[in-house]
Amino acid sequence: MPKATERDQAVEVQSEEHLPTVLRKKDILLSVRDIHKSFGSNDVLKGISLDLRPGEVLALIGGNGAGKSTLMKIIMGIYSPDSGEVLIDNQKVDVSNPKVALAHSIYMVPQEPMLFPNMTVRENVTIGFDAKQADLDRELESVMDEIGWHLDLERKASTLSIAEQGMVEILRGMMRHSEILILDEPTSALTFDEVSALFKVINGLREKNIGIIYITHRLAEVFQISTSVSILRDGIVTMQGPTKDFTREDLVKGLLPPNAGIVKETAAKEARAIDYSAEPVLELQNFSGYGFKDVSLKVYPGEIVGLAGVIGAGRTEMATTIFGRDKVLGGKVLLDGKDITGLSTRAVISAGVNYVPEDRARDGLFRIRDVEENTTSALLAGSALGKAFLNVKEANRVADGYVKNFRTRVTGLEQEVGGLSGGNQQKIVIGRAFATAPRLVILDEPTRGIDAAARGDVYAVLQELRETGVSILLISSDMEEIVELADRALTMFQGRINGEFAKDQITQDNLMSASFGVTKEARSA
Amino acid sequence: MQYVKKLLKARGLTSALFLVALFLVVGAINPSFLTPGNISACFNTSVVYTLVAVGMAFTLFIGEIDVSVGANIGLVAAVVGTLLRDGQPLVVACGAGILIGAVIGLINAWGVAIMKAPSLIFTLGVNGVLRGVLYVYTNGAWVENLPKDFKDFSAVTAVGDLTVYYCVTILVVICIHLLLTRTKRGRYFHAVGDNAQGATLVGLPTMQTKVLAYVICGVMAAVAGIIFASRIGFVTPQSGNGYEMKAIAACVLGGVSLLGGVGSVVGSAIGAVIMASISYLLVFMGFSSNYDNAITGIILIIVVVGDALIQHRSIVKNRRARLMARVSDGTTAADADAEKGGDAA
Repeated sequence: MPKATERDQAVEVQSEEHLPTVLRKKDILLSVRDIHKSFGSNDVLKGISLDLRPGEVLALIGGNGAGKSTLMKIIMGIYSPDSGEVLIDNQKVDVSNPKVALAHSIYMVPQEPMLFPNMTVRENVTIGFDAKQADLDRELESVMDEIGWHLDLERKASTLSIAEQGMVEILRGMMRHSEILILDEPTSALTFDEVSALFKVINGLREKNIGIIYITHRLAEVFQISTSVSILRDGIVTMQGPTKDFTREDLVKGLLPPNAGIVKETAAKEARAIDYSAEPVLELQNFSGYGFKDVSLKVYPGEIVGLAGVIGAGRTEMATTIFGRDKVLGGKVLLDGKDITGLSTRAVISAGVNYVPEDRARDGLFRIRDVEENTTSALLAGSALGKAFLNVKEANRVADGYVKNFRTRVTGLEQEVGGLSGGNQQKIVIGRAFATAPRLVILDEPTRGIDAAARGDVYAVLQELRETGVSILLISSDMEEIVELADRALTMFQGRINGEFAKDQITQDNLMSASFGVTKEARSA
Repeated sequence: MQYVKKLLKARGLTSALFLVALFLVVGAINPSFLTPGNISACFNTSVVYTLVAVGMAFTLFIGEIDVSVGANIGLVAAVVGTLLRDGQPLVVACGAGILIGAVIGLINAWGVAIMKAPSLIFTLGVNGVLRGVLYVYTNGAWVENLPKDFKDFSAVTAVGDLTVYYCVTILVVICIHLLLTRTKRGRYFHAVGDNAQGATLVGLPTMQTKVLAYVICGVMAAVAGIIFASRIGFVTPQSGNGYEMKAIAACVLGGVSLLGGVGSVVGSAIGAVIMASISYLLVFMGFSSNYDNAITGIILIIVVVGDALIQHRSIVKNRRARLMARVSDGTTAADADAEKGGDAA
């Protein structure tokens, strides 16, 4: 971890001095002041202030859970802030619902375009206006001329590519004479050519003095398209200023917690001996599927392999494809040398792989069933709990064992899991996965949405389990978690493995850089 | 596949062709069917179905459903029949009937649009309540002895053998179709069913549109109930039973998607003629009309299963396309990025 230079500290100071004199307060289109927002005990935004000026492209970057989406939803009136204010054209505005935002010329192009798939492009763009259709059509033509982008208006939206759908969303924003355009990861599903086309449009909009907030996970794009940049981490703005004042390394630093270096040193001491000459438990050979490509990796017995990356990097898709939930497009999955490529989920489980999904509430838990039923539900398919009749005694013994070992706080095995805290729910889901006595467990974001104390408990549980010889593939966007737990770490970027780190190289800095696609030449050495 | 898709898209048209083919096939089996009288009869008997189906189409457009129309028809028919039998003027009776339909629509809208209850179950419950009210209101007895003028009017013809009822219904369907396709507000129904969240984000009155759809459905069913009383001439506590399935089948056959956002009222009207003709055609083909319900059910199942398959395929296809787009095309992307970033810095 390199020391922060004087220059880094200078840019961390938020002030107006960095901005050209022409772009001072007078011209501010949108300004948010000291916004706070919490959901329950979870403080998502802790006093955010941002300004947006005409012709500015403000890149907003930050890791998962940094608060970017929450902030945008507040600006769009989907959420209301706990405190702080939103000023549009220097007027305080109570943005209580999306209609207010629209009326003040703010338009957000959501990450997943919100089109009407069964309507034509023309209908999609012009719906919701009170003007005459002929006037709208004329205006639409002129808007398209201005930004130099043409599309058959009679095509159904369902036939458009994702890029084209995004463009239709932008047209909608233009038709509303939006002065403030929010683009939420507009390139996350675009091909290279489509990205260039989009950037051309954005540059056109900039010349028309429209202010753009550009949310992205790709640091390269910050330099390609933005004029200024703001970095969000854990609900605060850690750096902001004109893009030209930053380097990639500065940005990565802004994304990392301030104590990143210290954590690494304490964790590195615990490096354990893993027998890398043994046959790997799991081996992927050029494994390809929808959302990831040519992934090769090995997980050895008793090893925790961390798989870092940002949301949409293809990690969950890879895991669920191993687990038999989607079609394999190429390559092989070997478990203890045995080919398990493309087997059904049932067969994969009985072969010895289990998967703990990212979204507990949707894919993981049977919310209205009790602790015992949840813990043993994965055993129902086999004969561990009896062939036809359920061996209730055995089921209770298994469930009780996991509750005790994991120190899960429940009132009893009959408690409904829907009423448990996130951490305790997660322990039950993990317990369920391990109850099948697997060779390998894939954990997908195991501590997402869990408070710090419960997180420590989950870590302890995983470290204990590793001692039993089970291998773990740990998918996580929380770099600290990988530093803490992993014996070895890989990073995934745009569907491919782009970095591998031995225990002593696992630092938040390295992981974060690689996750955002920054390649570094042996800087950490 | 492309060809099949196109055909399925123009299903309003295909269902019209299907209807013509159906008549020709029956005519080939039994030539005595192909007379203007018989064919007109198929259209004339479809009046009630057509009105219910057009109303139903509105709730399907917004992505919901209304299975309370059966009891709605029965209740309105009984109330209007009773009022007329007791010597009330036609205007009063019809006004009362339509008011009942509108109130039923509002009740459904309250449950589905405002309280967000699942529409199938909520309207099923309303159906049960209405049927119960009908039994209590009629005390389980038939409503008979309706005024002769009222009954006879159902047989008055306007164009050829087509009744006034059917001709007026067709005009109403065409007007509704034009309102839906040519006005800006008409588009809202399909938009809300196509993507409710998207509709909210572009500032459409989602809630208001849903309420309106249910009220239209309720009123159309009420009008159907009045004509039912006129055509049949008496009302039993079971009147209107099963009309919801006929109406849904008519819509689906006419190209209305149960998932919302797709279809036209013209398609529904053609589907209604097919539904009304089935029992009539069965007789000409030498079968018992007892098969009617089973055939309606089978048609409904075939079309819906086909719909679900197509829908599922397209969801999977879109998801996969989106995922593939995220994968970089190889070794260079990150390096290329690094270079550009370096230049800018």
